Amino acid sequence: MSARQRIDQQPGFVLHSYPYRETSLIVEVFSRDHGRIGLVAKGARRPMSQLRGVLMAFQPLLIDWSGGGEMKTLVRAEWQGGQPLLGGQALLCAYYLNELLMRLLPREDPHPVLFRAYGDALRALAAGEGQEVILRRFELALLQELGYGLQLDSDADGAPVRPELRYAYIIERGAVPLDEYGIDDPSVVAGRVLLDMARGDFREPETLAGAKALMRRLIQHYLGGQVLQSRRVFTELFAFPGDPS
Amino acid sequence: MSTPSSLDVLIEALRCLPGVGPKSAQRMAFHLLQRDQRGAARLATALGHALEVLRHCSRCNTFCEDEVCARCASPQRDASQLCVVEMPSDLAMLEQTHSYHGLYYVLMGRLSPLDGIGPRELGLEKFLGRACDGAVQEVILATNFTNEGEATAHMISELLKSRGIKVSRIARGIPVGGELEHTDSGTIAQALVERRSL
Repeated sequence: MSARQRIDQQPGFVLHSYPYRETSLIVEVFSRDHGRIGLVAKGARRPMSQLRGVLMAFQPLLIDWSGGGEMKTLVRAEWQGGQPLLGGQALLCAYYLNELLMRLLPREDPHPVLFRAYGDALRALAAGEGQEVILRRFELALLQELGYGLQLDSDADGAPVRPELRYAYIIERGAVPLDEYGIDDPSVVAGRVLLDMARGDFREPETLAGAKALMRRLIQHYLGGQVLQSRRVFTELFAFPGDPS
Repeated sequence: MSTPSSLDVLIEALRCLPGVGPKSAQRMAFHLLQRDQRGAARLATALGHALEVLRHCSRCNTFCEDEVCARCASPQRDASQLCVVEMPSDLAMLEQTHSYHGLYYVLMGRLSPLDGIGPRELGLEKFLGRACDGAVQEVILATNFTNEGEATAHMISELLKSRGIKVSRIARGIPVGGELEHTDSGTIAQALVERRSL
């Protein structure tokens, strides 16, 4: 067992929380230097608890905790501010980001680069920027950081990707020039789209659509059959029975 | 020491209460059986009776004993306003204000995408049926100001907008009689974002 330790003033975000015992919460936190951690927030569900309004997801916090086991004890959480609360569609997008982190990020695995990408994504969502682009950027950063490094500017054999060619993107192998695969393969993606993605340039509608399909396939693969609840809720909302729109 | 099985069954049954673990369940069971047998009998009868007669009001979805609860059946209430709350305790708080005379709809929960609670799990079909009964002109969203409450409010407003019903959200900000000095910064920050012109 690792030694008891005390961490002070660690930047972090609440990813998810659920009730624990009579008045406490278990809080899943994404911290900058310690990755995803589980904290017990004692008494956080008491009516007068100072923590009640602070331990909200999507808000930048400074967190103190202690303990060395798998579950640590939250000592203090301070709201950092500077970012309006999320609402509407942006809020649903943010839930999706949190679910990706909850399902794909192992506990206690520090990812400061991903932490920055997550903070940027939330800030952009709060500022009302284009949601599709924010989501694609974050998904890319997530897969790169988790070590599933996508090879986007060179093909599976190491040759540079050519914008005018079409490729089949084979998971764990990379982009394969199309003559090996049939046109109807769902993995088909244009070289131009791969190059745009490599540069993080999502201005072209074709790139946005191609990136969405590719990222969805990759994320589904790495989730290993787990269903993304936030995506299910999302689609259900738009396909609600009797919806005239 | 082996405990008799009916005691085990009772302890196990008490654990279904939120926040009650094996230790508390054991303590409750011993208390009921040893110190307060009459209380235990009353609890058993009350629980059995409630289970038998209570159901959800077909109009507002809160607990009641009839098909339609007294509030929904009352001609004194304004049927053109429908206030949506998460839980019956929220409804009780709104009633205490004596300043709302419309009707309610109690969701009995909230949307929680990460826990897999979506429109279907919340039973929003029943709510939509209620909101689109023709008499309702305004739906007032009084779900909590948590992320889940906000997401719920957003979802309901999306569903209603396409049906041409006016949707409003209760306001949030500095509490009545509140001083900025003693208000948490999150509330002040949001009150600034949502300030209104005079």
